[in-house]
Amino acid sequence: MAGALCLLAATGFSLAIPWTVKHAVDALQYDRAPVLVYVALIVVLAAANGAARLGSRFSILGAGQRVDADLRDALYAAFQAFSPDVFARHSTGDLMARASSDVGVVRSLVGFGAVSIVSTTLAFVGAIGAMLAVDPWLTVCALAPFPMLVTLARRFNMTVTVRTEAMQAQLGVLSARVQETLAGMAVVRAYTLEPRAAAAFAAENATLLDRSVALAAIQARFTPLMSLIAGVGVLVVLWVGGYRVAQGRITLGALVAFNGYLAYLAWPTVALGLTLSVIRRGLASMARIQEIVDAAPPLEAPGEPLADAPSIRFAHLTFAYPGRAPALRDVDFSVDPGEVVAVVGPTGSGKSTLGLVLARLWSPPSGTVFVAGRDVTTVPLGTLRATVGWVPQDAFLFSRSIADNLTLGRDGIADDAVRAAAADAAIDDEIEAFPDGYRTVVGERGLTVSGGQRQRLALARALLGAPRLLVLDDVFASVDAVTEEKIIKALRASGRTMLVITHRLRAAQAADRVVVLDAGAIVEQGTHEALLARGGLYARLWRRQQLEEEIASA
Amino acid sequence: MPDLRDEHDDVLGRAFDRRLAVRLWLAARRQHRVLAGALVLFPLIAAAELAQPYLLKVAIDDHILRADWLGLTVTAGLFALTLAVLYALRMVEAYLMALAGQRVTHDLRGELFSHLLRLEAAFFDRNPVGRLMTRVLSDVEAVSEAFTSGLLAIAADVITLSGVVAIMLWMDWRLALVTFAIVPVLAAVAAELRIRARDAYREVRRRLAVLNGFLQESLQGMTVIQLFARERHERAQFRRLNADYRRALFGSTVFEASLYASVEALGSVALALLIWYGGRQIVGGALSFGALVAFIQYTNRFFLPIRDLGAKYTVMQSAMASAERIFGLLDRAPGIVAPARAAIPAVRGHGAATPALELDGVWFAYEAGTWVLRDCAFRVARGEHVALVGATGEGKSTCARLLIRAYDVTRGRVLVDGVDVRAWDLEALRRHVGTVFQDTVLFTGTVADNLRVNGARDAAALRVALETAHAGRFVDALPRGLDEPLGERGVNVSHGERQLLAIARALVYNPPVLVLDEATSSVDPESEWLIREGMKQLLAGRTSVTIAHRLSTIQSADRIIVLHRGRVHEEGSHSELLRRRGLYARLWELGHGAPAA
Repeated sequence: MAGALCLLAATGFSLAIPWTVKHAVDALQYDRAPVLVYVALIVVLAAANGAARLGSRFSILGAGQRVDADLRDALYAAFQAFSPDVFARHSTGDLMARASSDVGVVRSLVGFGAVSIVSTTLAFVGAIGAMLAVDPWLTVCALAPFPMLVTLARRFNMTVTVRTEAMQAQLGVLSARVQETLAGMAVVRAYTLEPRAAAAFAAENATLLDRSVALAAIQARFTPLMSLIAGVGVLVVLWVGGYRVAQGRITLGALVAFNGYLAYLAWPTVALGLTLSVIRRGLASMARIQEIVDAAPPLEAPGEPLADAPSIRFAHLTFAYPGRAPALRDVDFSVDPGEVVAVVGPTGSGKSTLGLVLARLWSPPSGTVFVAGRDVTTVPLGTLRATVGWVPQDAFLFSRSIADNLTLGRDGIADDAVRAAAADAAIDDEIEAFPDGYRTVVGERGLTVSGGQRQRLALARALLGAPRLLVLDDVFASVDAVTEEKIIKALRASGRTMLVITHRLRAAQAADRVVVLDAGAIVEQGTHEALLARGGLYARLWRRQQLEEEIASA
Repeated sequence: MPDLRDEHDDVLGRAFDRRLAVRLWLAARRQHRVLAGALVLFPLIAAAELAQPYLLKVAIDDHILRADWLGLTVTAGLFALTLAVLYALRMVEAYLMALAGQRVTHDLRGELFSHLLRLEAAFFDRNPVGRLMTRVLSDVEAVSEAFTSGLLAIAADVITLSGVVAIMLWMDWRLALVTFAIVPVLAAVAAELRIRARDAYREVRRRLAVLNGFLQESLQGMTVIQLFARERHERAQFRRLNADYRRALFGSTVFEASLYASVEALGSVALALLIWYGGRQIVGGALSFGALVAFIQYTNRFFLPIRDLGAKYTVMQSAMASAERIFGLLDRAPGIVAPARAAIPAVRGHGAATPALELDGVWFAYEAGTWVLRDCAFRVARGEHVALVGATGEGKSTCARLLIRAYDVTRGRVLVDGVDVRAWDLEALRRHVGTVFQDTVLFTGTVADNLRVNGARDAAALRVALETAHAGRFVDALPRGLDEPLGERGVNVSHGERQLLAIARALVYNPPVLVLDEATSSVDPESEWLIREGMKQLLAGRTSVTIAHRLSTIQSADRIIVLHRGRVHEEGSHSELLRRRGLYARLWELGHGAPAA
């Protein structure tokens, strides 16, 4: 490795300088001779040392940075392959932390850690070798305090690490507190919670101060240790070495050179503890990253849609989210090609789960969910998702232009197609009214759009993929009645198979058939009229609505 | 008043600004004892530090070269003493500096957060949460760095440097001048590389911010990426940003490494100069060996502060930029404050004829020129239940916000109990008019913590509210009931359940006037019906304004006000409005698929 070779050369040049100084001083003392040749040698060595050191830094730190980029890229790829259960288990902040801090820690392991291990080893071997060559006895004396100081430095370092982590954890708590308070200011204001928020913040802030000062206290004892280590070496050389110079066993030049070597050792010695903790933390972070990367299933290729108007079949589907009671129990119904089926039911009845397993955002047990007659667990994901257009209740918009949000960079989508999809989703006029039309940047760092607009943009995004099968999960929750009607009319005209999940019975009435869920199980199904005639839950809900209308219209 | 919207986080200006320095001093004033303690230590530390090379000189010239073992032992003893003293002094110094810095951070942070709590809603519309978090978390730290790594460290360096220069000139002024010859080169190299490194770091931060922003959005919108099979496209973009970041990082490494390598090389050149010139002096008998060795040591102490001066300058610069932003924020006066002698109108103080709520010719725009309300006027009598309806974006929610004075009207008046909201005490107003929002925010803490909005301690009161909101059943089903902690994303409660909790919270809050902003819009009909039953009891004896898209949910209102194009289009009871066959009748027809009777 080029970096290690450079480091070897740099160490050699560095150690040659005190050696040259020794000879210069000896020459001065005994020969009273001019020392120009040594002076020139020092300058040459210094230049060579600088060059070699630069080379080593570039190659080793550069390698660290490449590892950093590769790991981050691998993590990103892994994130992409995860199903929503991973995102439900890990907060965005946690995953962000893996991609930034953990990757950074590994970078230090590969960069600083590697430089440090190699250069510390070289420094110790080289400097001790050189010192032994000058005077073994003095070497032993000068190095005697080192083991104690190394142990001391390590102990301090461990405490520093522990306290740093405690401080950082508290900083995390504090920033979460700030974030949620600022994000929830409307509620804080409305409920006059300001004093409570201030008190909660003050308490966390005080804890942070305590932990920061505790960290500072240990660091204050740790930092001056470095010059102490160097100083003790100088002291020993001065006292023992001075005695040996006086005795004539070594030269004054050797004494000066010894000082140089000790100074050279001071930093690696102190850094030893730091290096060890960098290695320890680097390996821990690497394990955390590996955990994510290894858990990721391979990315599947985009595919072609299945059938023109595929059928759907749920065959005795029972599904539970990990660690929870089943969300769906023995759900059994099918949707014919081109048919529009509405799924209604109270909150928490498992309606949304149907959409999630159909798009295989959560995997159902095999042999329970079929699209176009094929088990969704055996259909390649790319194919499945090219077939199923699933529009969720809470649509996400990226901080990009509206056009980019609709096309998502898919090739070969003409502007006309974008406009047509926007028109079908009844959002075209509103987009035109935005400051930059389709180029208006929306999302967190752009223009804020209303909930209803967001839902319709998500619908347009799904329509642009020309899905053969449309699953709408309560997408009209924030859309007014006029708009809803317009959209449903446009969608029905296309002849797609549609599964409309809704708790608005009016929307259900427009469907060919209605499936009523309660507590995860189908309690009844049939046409709107048949269900009314049955006199079950649907009829009860419907009658209540009717009754209200009649009373109101009276 | 600095415009918080246009500033850029990374613009660096001067490293020192007198006006800002005064403000900073005021912020740090409470730490003056700690700071004074640190300042007193600086000369002591410098003296102990500079004594060491001199002791070395004495040892070599007077003892070693003369074989004076006893004298050497005494000098070595003195040297050991300086080591012990230095360690102790440096420890205290580092502790005091950190203490001062952390305390300043703590105080500023608290002040900043309390100030943010006082700012009005319009401010938060213009300033994203992320940016404000940067103010409270990192900017504040940068300011405390200004004390510890900046100002104080520079003061310490200046004292040490002056000491080194003085002692070198005193020992041998010619040799000192030879050493100083390298200083201009060193300063120039250090300054140049430091500036380049700083620019490179700025680029690194910028690239990292872009990269992390992209990553965060990817994580939030991963479902979308997956559903549309855009993984490869997104990954290619991420890879590009990642490579940009890596290049920027390497750029900063180049300058940083060059700085250290060239300073080290220059240090060796200075050593060579000393040996060359000093050697000639020694040969000529004009200089002692000890003095040469001491000089070599002094030169080392001389180099490091100059090398790091640039880093400290950068710290000061970014601290000043942070200070500017922090004080800019602190100077931003709250736009909505209660008058000095605010009215706290007692309901009984007014006749029954006084409306509980009144909008009187209200004009309002979030952004100048885009009117949301235009001459909007309506009254709500005490105890009356009014529904506000209209298409999306017609200003219904805005009315709710104006009623609790989250925003101030542009023109006209908003009256609560006959008193202009601008004359009300803010807290009294918001205790009088309660709001249930469509986006239900829950805070970190238990279910009970989230319900205790009124200083209520009584668990029984919370239970009653939960039962009334029909949230009792699901709360009981939680493993720890009322003491169940609510997670970051509220994963343990569903959307509908969150709304039930929000309603229960409003019940605990128990305001005389209730504004329901689409509170029941995404609860299923079954629960919605149950909630409405509970609401009937809640609304009894209260004044209420309900805002909903679902026309069927507001039929129980005493009166319906239809907003259109920012003003009251029509109003009346449900049947009156249907008979009028106006906008409401059309909305009704479309919402219910059948012509109004």
